[in-house]
Amino acid sequence: MKLDLEQLRELIRLLDESNLTEIEVEQDDDRIRVRRDPAVTVGAAAVQSGAPQATAEAPAVTPATSSDESGTYITSPFVGTFYRSPSPDADAFVEVGDEVAAGQVLCIVEAMKLMNEIEAETAGTVVEVLVENGKPVEYGDRLFRIETV
Amino acid sequence: MFEKVLIANRGEIAIRVIRSCRERGLRTVAVHSEVDADALHTRLADEAICIGPAEPGRSYLHIPAIIAAAEITGADAIHPGYGFLSENPEFAETCAQCDLRFIGPLPEQMRQWGDKVSARSLAKSIGLPILEGSGLISDVDDAVVKAEELGFPVLLKASGGGGGRGMQVLRSAEEVRATYETARAECIAAFGSGGLYFEKYLERPRHIEFQILGDQYGNIHVLGERECSIQRRHQKILEEAPSVALTDEQRNDMSETIVRAMSEAGYLSAGTLEFLLDERGELTFLEMNPRIQVEHPVTELIMGIDLVAEQIRIAEGAALERPMHRLSPRGHAIECRINAEDPDTFAPSPGVITELHMAGGTGVRVDSGVYGGGRVPPHYDPLVAKLVVHAPTRPLAIAKMRRALSETIIGGIRTNIPLHRRILEHPAFEEGRVSTQFLDDLRG
Repeated sequence: MKLDLEQLRELIRLLDESNLTEIEVEQDDDRIRVRRDPAVTVGAAAVQSGAPQATAEAPAVTPATSSDESGTYITSPFVGTFYRSPSPDADAFVEVGDEVAAGQVLCIVEAMKLMNEIEAETAGTVVEVLVENGKPVEYGDRLFRIETV
Repeated sequence: MFEKVLIANRGEIAIRVIRSCRERGLRTVAVHSEVDADALHTRLADEAICIGPAEPGRSYLHIPAIIAAAEITGADAIHPGYGFLSENPEFAETCAQCDLRFIGPLPEQMRQWGDKVSARSLAKSIGLPILEGSGLISDVDDAVVKAEELGFPVLLKASGGGGGRGMQVLRSAEEVRATYETARAECIAAFGSGGLYFEKYLERPRHIEFQILGDQYGNIHVLGERECSIQRRHQKILEEAPSVALTDEQRNDMSETIVRAMSEAGYLSAGTLEFLLDERGELTFLEMNPRIQVEHPVTELIMGIDLVAEQIRIAEGAALERPMHRLSPRGHAIECRINAEDPDTFAPSPGVITELHMAGGTGVRVDSGVYGGGRVPPHYDPLVAKLVVHAPTRPLAIAKMRRALSETIIGGIRTNIPLHRRILEHPAFEEGRVSTQFLDDLRG
């Protein structure tokens, strides 16, 4: 399958008119995938082919929260150490079952001796705390699961 | 002595550092961006920490993320590789403030050599021969005066520049007047400062560089030279050691000059002094690179040393071993940089590597950053692997490199292997008649 510009246009049009986020066509050893990034309103398309052709890739958009059917995850915006309370003997910012408002502080991630407060992006109920107090976290690690109202 | 080293880099150089660490019994920490979660360096290190998204500014160049990764893993030293933060004095300072040893030169040494105009005057003051040039240009009239004093053709360069960007050859006062303001604006946009100066333009120079090591006790060793004249867009793609253009006398004289000069200036860790060799056979200082360089393996092969291990030893506080600078080069080494790019247009060619077979056999070394089925992301440098050969003589090294290239198979992306094969088949290259214009001449 040669990369036919008209075919590609057709695929993009199809994607635009549908609710789909991705269309993949495979024929022999070649594959074309047209993908819409759900976080971007204008359909950003990524084309990929098994043949040695230029690969364009839509920049990955990584929101601080990611969602699936079971709620919204709050992820760590940087590498550091996760703390559930403002100081070792203070109460935790939030517990499972607490209702939180958008902008409410959920935890601290310490990096380079700086205490960074991580806030809830939307209102909801804390259903799960995914990291133990005092443990290291990486960029993108899931910290809390929040059920949005 | 260190126990755990964090490598603040990716690709082949991160793996190169992991190898020396592992041989010394040190544990390693890789840092990676989201797109490099399955990269080879991430897989080979003992631990791996995701430090941010694909954009370098938010991952590999993001100082707080790298320091935090060192803190949570308990690393005691950071090797910066080349590129990214390797020449950033603020990064080296931040490491020191956080009780992490930076494996490289001191921050003030990076500052001294980082700005090209100040590097030139420092080089001159410690007795290195420098290419004729001007000081900083104040305005367009001053530019014309300075260019005429120097004599045309001149090369307009950015004081804060690097990687060949922003350089322009000017051949008359009219060209200076027509170009100066635009060049200044571009320079501010690219490097954040408008400092421009002239250097005498050499038509067909060779690029020759000397590898040095310095320890904290003031010892400076020179480990011979590399010839890096084969360049595309001012970026090296094939390097060799030793250079056919230097006589033993020249090599020894320059080595002694460098030992004297750098002992006076003071220097810690590995560094490279770059020179141009003009058609009359004169070497003049160009710039100093305060870091390990991409092409360091050719020096390692002919000198029989591990430069990264030396960097680690020096950072641990060890002294250079006495007889090392008396080592004499053995044989000839050539390195080809295998880039994920179109061999004719040099357009980048990222993608999935569908099949990979690297050359082997006696005298062949491969420093690769990829594996079959892995992905070359579009966000970073196109270098995927370095193919390096070592043989008793230059003709044998050329034959070995041709053989090694013929065995190398990289599928799914385009690479510059066809270009390397053309270079190695070229009679002028075989005879050692090269200059930095070689590729432009080859491509007509």
